[in-house]
Amino acid sequence: MLEVSDLKVSYGAINAVRGVSLRLSEGELVTLLGANGAGKSSTLLAIAGALKSSGTVRLDGTDVSGWSPERIVRQGVAMVPETRDVFPDLTVAENLLLGAYARRRDRDGVAEDRQRMFALFPRLQERQEQAAGTLSGGEQQMLVIARALMSRPRLLLLDEPSLGLAPTVVDQIFAMIAELKRQRLTILLVEQNASKALALADRAYVLRLGKVAAEGRAAEIAAASDLEHLYLGG
Amino acid sequence: MKPGNILTLVILLGLVALLVLVPQLVGSRVVERIATALAISLVLVVGLQTFTGNSGILSFAHVGFMGIGAYASAVLTIPVQMRGMALPDLYGVLAQIQVTPLVGIALGGVVAALVAALVAYPLMRLSDAPAVITSFALLVVIYTVLQHWSAVTNGPRTLFGLPKATTLPLTAAIASVVIVVALAFKESRTGLLLRASRDDERAAAALGAGIPALRWRAFILSALIAGIGGALWGHFVTSFSPKAFYLKETFVILGMLVIGGMNTVTGAVIGAFLISLLFEGLRALETALNASGVFANQVVGVTEIVLALAMMAVMFLQPGGLFAATEIGPLILRRFTRRAPP
Amino acid sequence: MQTLLQFTIDVLSLGGAYALMALGLVIVYGILKLVNFAYGELIMVAGYGLFLMNGSGLPWLVMAAVAVLIAVVTGVLTEYAAFRPVRAKSVTAVLITSFAFSTILQNAALLFISPRPRNVPLPDLFSQTVAFGGILIPARNLITIVASIGLLLLFAFLMKRTVLGIAMRAAATQFRMARMLGVPANLIISTAFAISGFFAGVVSLLWIGRIGSVTPGVGLEPLLVAFIATVIGGMRSLQGAVLGGFLLAFINTALNYLLTQDLLQFRDAFTFTLVILILLWRPEGLIRGPATGQRT
Repeated sequence: MLEVSDLKVSYGAINAVRGVSLRLSEGELVTLLGANGAGKSSTLLAIAGALKSSGTVRLDGTDVSGWSPERIVRQGVAMVPETRDVFPDLTVAENLLLGAYARRRDRDGVAEDRQRMFALFPRLQERQEQAAGTLSGGEQQMLVIARALMSRPRLLLLDEPSLGLAPTVVDQIFAMIAELKRQRLTILLVEQNASKALALADRAYVLRLGKVAAEGRAAEIAAASDLEHLYLGG
Repeated sequence: MKPGNILTLVILLGLVALLVLVPQLVGSRVVERIATALAISLVLVVGLQTFTGNSGILSFAHVGFMGIGAYASAVLTIPVQMRGMALPDLYGVLAQIQVTPLVGIALGGVVAALVAALVAYPLMRLSDAPAVITSFALLVVIYTVLQHWSAVTNGPRTLFGLPKATTLPLTAAIASVVIVVALAFKESRTGLLLRASRDDERAAAALGAGIPALRWRAFILSALIAGIGGALWGHFVTSFSPKAFYLKETFVILGMLVIGGMNTVTGAVIGAFLISLLFEGLRALETALNASGVFANQVVGVTEIVLALAMMAVMFLQPGGLFAATEIGPLILRRFTRRAPP
Repeated sequence: MQTLLQFTIDVLSLGGAYALMALGLVIVYGILKLVNFAYGELIMVAGYGLFLMNGSGLPWLVMAAVAVLIAVVTGVLTEYAAFRPVRAKSVTAVLITSFAFSTILQNAALLFISPRPRNVPLPDLFSQTVAFGGILIPARNLITIVASIGLLLLFAFLMKRTVLGIAMRAAATQFRMARMLGVPANLIISTAFAISGFFAGVVSLLWIGRIGSVTPGVGLEPLLVAFIATVIGGMRSLQGAVLGGFLLAFINTALNYLLTQDLLQFRDAFTFTLVILILLWRPEGLIRGPATGQRT
């Protein structure tokens, strides 16, 4: 369903992504691994249309390269950025409402999904009238994922969902990702916690210095590579 | 000094020299007047560059300091026997002091710098839009004071009686000094740190740069030059009113700097030249149109509209101006060495 | 007691107008982090709109609506002419292009209409007075209070309750994220300029209603008011703009009551000194607003 070929991103003179190609099939959970600065986040942002890039990105065969982020969302791609980016002044409920911006006319559907999110994350329901900026890190992460799901995406781009969270919260987040996978949502997951990510994923790509250094079934990658080695970039 | 900087200096001073020579050769009073006005603009625009170029903060207050310089010099140089007519309500001590125009011009700069030193420090803590906005407010305040402080400025009415002292050679000499000072300031420690803060405020602060203090120094220098420029202008036209130091003039000075490129002294100089010549051309056209009587009413404002369009065009095509980052000297050297065979 | 009532009404009517001026400026700044120097000219064009409809025989309310509409259209036009080509490139460039655009509009008024003041049609109500609590109050002051407070409440409601309003508040803090949720950048920006124009249009009616005529430079004072109010209130927050507007009105009115006639001419200088003091105490303004804020 997603097909990326020869993706390149540069920030001025620095080439962050130097020709990455990857593909995801319907219902697959694929993880993108690599050291800091390997170009994982840039790859995700470029797929979401938020970074200028060259190369082609195809969604179900449609070439969406160079599209604006708002157009790509309407194609069913939702992004959870590493920086989380809750809207701090807006309440939890308002944050969720904006998640469904692309389908805002479907009022009943949006209300229904909101109840679904509250069932999935009861903490958010308790705090729905609170400003998002006052939530804890874990709650913000839940909010951002819930907000992304409000658009009923077909493809979810998850960037470092466990970053900086307490271990119990990390477990909750991964349990939730597993649940989404069971519901056959296609997910591209960037994660520092490689062992947890590989345990959950179908396939994996390893990026090094902006290029794909290895790819394969998650189990193979987990067996073949020394994970520490992977992250120290040796 | 690096060869590139020397070359820049030579070229820019050469342009100023040309400004003195051409009217001599042509032998026309009109051309000499235009050249003098251009040299005054040079002083003002390069003066603005010392602050805006290095700090990255657009200052709208510059023309206000120009006005302060002009009025300060006027008060000190109008002949004592004329004071009763020109400034009847002037305070006792001031009414008796009279200095030569040259001293007056220098003191005009000093007064402007003092005022800048006094009011500007809190403003220097602001960055981005708030900094620009408050400089704009400062311009309005200076204008209000000039317009209402009748005892010293003759209020909104025209102040007359300044001795005519601004000659082309004098102005050109001062412009040359200002160009040298601006280039030296740009390369000084303060200038370097300021330019670092322009690109990344946090990183520069981490280097130990006290940004408000740096900006403050640049602002005072810039006001000093503006004051001198204003006084020169005062002794050039010999009568003026506060209206001369307001938005219209601000627009012209800013336009010169921005079109030339505010980050370089070369940009300031080239901008002053280009816009002055464009302006003279347009003004002549406007006068001719009015004289020909093609239009029923007086044609006013066309000059400003054309300048505004030119400014927008330059910003669209080259947001940093014609000389956006590099002075002309290094620019030429680079091209020269690139063409040389390996 | 009567003085207090008089004072309160003066502050509220001036403050209402000031708050609208400031809000119109800050709605664009909040989204783009860019200052619109041509904001005062939106007020000017609405005024000339009224002047040109003078004697057209239309009911005043229709003329007023058309004048506001002219300001809205000019606001959106400003974005296309001065902001869109450069807004991603350089903050300074936008300051310059909007300043240049303002100069073009002013000089066009100078060239095509006149440098001299032109009278605008106003309903009789604007020149009547109302006796209340032992003092005479100009009706236009009451109109200003009612109109501005009504508009502020309506605006707050729309920003809180409509999807577009919520999206605009979101875009003010995390523009990129809002886009990644499907909020179209250009819609948000154009809407901000349209709202800005709307406030300018209403301010124009109230402001020119006070002075009775329009000149090419009529927008300067409202622009300056908006500048100072937003700087002291806090440029990143809509509430800050409103607070700044009322505070500035309070300072100005208080100075009006306190200063003698010859000092009153320097009122702006006194106001500015107070602003400097406020900034010494709080460089970011009274209401700091969200810490983050990126441009497109």
